[in-house]
Amino acid sequence: MTAKRIGIESSLAVAEAVRLANVDVIAAYPITPQTHIVEGLAEMVANGHLDAEYIPVESEHSAMSSCLGASAVGARAFTATASQGLILMHEVLLVAASLRLPVVMAVTNRALSGPLNIWGDHSDVMIARDAGWIQIFAENGQQAFDQTLCAFRIAEHQDVLLPVIINFDGFHVSHVIEPMHFLDQKTVDEFLPPYRHPHALDPDKPVTMGGFAMPNMYTEGRKSLDTALRESKKVILDTWKQFGDIAGRYYKPVEKYQAENADTLLVTVGSYSENAMDAVDKMQAEGKKVGLVRVRLWRPFPYKEIIEALSGATNVIVLDRAISLGGPAPVCSEIRAALYSLKDRPQVVSIVGGLGGRDISPANFEKLIATALDKIKTGDAAETIMFGVRE
Amino acid sequence: MKREDTIEIRWHGRGGQGAVTSAELTALSAIHENKFAQAFPSFGPERRGAPVLAFNRISAEHPIRVRSSVIKPDIVVVLDPGLVTLINVVDGLKPGGWLIVNSTRSIDDLQSEFSGDWKLAVVDASSIARELLRVNIVNTTMLGALIKTTGVINIDSLKEQLEVKFGARAKANLEACRKAFATTVISSIKTGGQKKVRTFAVENLAKWSELPVGCVVTDVGNTKQFCTGDWKAQHPVWNDSKCIKCGICSLFCPEFCISQQKDGYFRANEFYCKGCGICAQECWTQCITMVEEA
Repeated sequence: MTAKRIGIESSLAVAEAVRLANVDVIAAYPITPQTHIVEGLAEMVANGHLDAEYIPVESEHSAMSSCLGASAVGARAFTATASQGLILMHEVLLVAASLRLPVVMAVTNRALSGPLNIWGDHSDVMIARDAGWIQIFAENGQQAFDQTLCAFRIAEHQDVLLPVIINFDGFHVSHVIEPMHFLDQKTVDEFLPPYRHPHALDPDKPVTMGGFAMPNMYTEGRKSLDTALRESKKVILDTWKQFGDIAGRYYKPVEKYQAENADTLLVTVGSYSENAMDAVDKMQAEGKKVGLVRVRLWRPFPYKEIIEALSGATNVIVLDRAISLGGPAPVCSEIRAALYSLKDRPQVVSIVGGLGGRDISPANFEKLIATALDKIKTGDAAETIMFGVRE
Repeated sequence: MKREDTIEIRWHGRGGQGAVTSAELTALSAIHENKFAQAFPSFGPERRGAPVLAFNRISAEHPIRVRSSVIKPDIVVVLDPGLVTLINVVDGLKPGGWLIVNSTRSIDDLQSEFSGDWKLAVVDASSIARELLRVNIVNTTMLGALIKTTGVINIDSLKEQLEVKFGARAKANLEACRKAFATTVISSIKTGGQKKVRTFAVENLAKWSELPVGCVVTDVGNTKQFCTGDWKAQHPVWNDSKCIKCGICSLFCPEFCISQQKDGYFRANEFYCKGCGICAQECWTQCITMVEEA
């Protein structure tokens, strides 16, 4: 069962989850914007606490390529990156998904250039939105630990076979020491069966991976990948249920906080959800009908759960920690689209904030909600609000 | 929607024979005549010698907006004689449309290949090109046959385009074009006149749900079923009396398709030989000759 309560940095907790998952290959580029995750893993391998190949590659592009190769022969592969590192990896991200190789990656979400900045921000992973990976957000160190373990089980499930990104905020989670509970090795071994790929590379049973498709086959290839990603939700839900049963911590694609009887729902993704909870508590104590909805599963996008959580509200305020330059903010635009078919849909206000490490304190969240409600009152809610920008 | 006055042309050739250039020159000439025109290739992994397609749309009156493939051509031009038996060149050809073929075969013989209501034109463009251009590239020569039969462009506007594209070599190309114009033989094809019905391969494509995980190919080695021999315009012929059995031809063959026979002499596997001519080039005693495909 669960081990004793300990204090540890979230990045190192994820490294511990990877060790417990008994990975075979870790490939990582060890320089900024890297985190302590792979540093911790390098130490474990060097000290003999984890029997794995640790490949210190020359770039993130090579890190993902190595993971892809390892996964293709049936090895459990892990890497971690963030920010520009994730961007450099991009070409291979799409290949891992289309080859259906269940690589697991931790992304400590950080900003993109420019100006040059590697502080907390979701821009890095939002650009990877369409890469075909399952994407899950963790809001604190415990969730990052839990979701890393779940990620291997989801990714490698024979009905899924897709790579998974575990997102958690750079610095605000990755570099924070927190109390948490680990699982012991026996429990993890029981939860996580060995990885098998139906077409793993084998000289006795050769296959061709990564062949090209003419215009008369490409659409079918994409449809099969898209369907696999959409249908992975069933396994994700099942995995979270089983994990909850052994760890006592249950997860859902969309999670609500004090949302019952709220007229106004704030939607957040990632660690700022915890700041927002404090703000919601304070506002509710003041008699304001404000609640919180947090998106945990980002891909496959949880349409049903989003509609279920938000359709009863009068006002929905969506905070994006990423800017889509020249277009609508990513999380808000998808939520708007999901709600559009409803007959009585709520007003949706889009807020971009918390960019490049800019803090949004609980007090700021109160201000953010008030600003959004003001916009709805004055009738100009269509425009994206850039919260906290100096004018 | 396609406007009624738009003429669509499909060019059949092999990579390197200049089908794309034929289409380009046709469009440029038409545009020069103040018509509206398009030229475009089939987009794909084209290789020298492999069957390729190029297309034209020409309208005297209307701007051309359609950017799709040409499915029902008014005119089909075949640059390579071997393609007639390899590909269904008349696929989608409209009733009353033109089939214009480069071939040494007689027009009666070619007529018997097809069944449909079409006009047929034949010219021995390969011989003309070899004689006047000293190379078996028939793109400009076949334009002479196109102009004679259909008049979609006129030879003066082509002359200008040839000069822009080929400079000093324009003269010989124009001469080849004029000779084809003069020697093209015209007849027609009738429904039911076909002597031998040929069947062409039909692709049986998988549904999305039938694809294996990750679109892997599980029947590996299937490229050996790929008849690259279809690509060749020439094939090697050995004069064994000059052969010293050194095996240089086999060593240099990029397809590894030349092997030694029991009698010690060498032969190419025609299923794979692409007709590149490297063996003939490398042969120490020059005992290999590249001979045109029928």
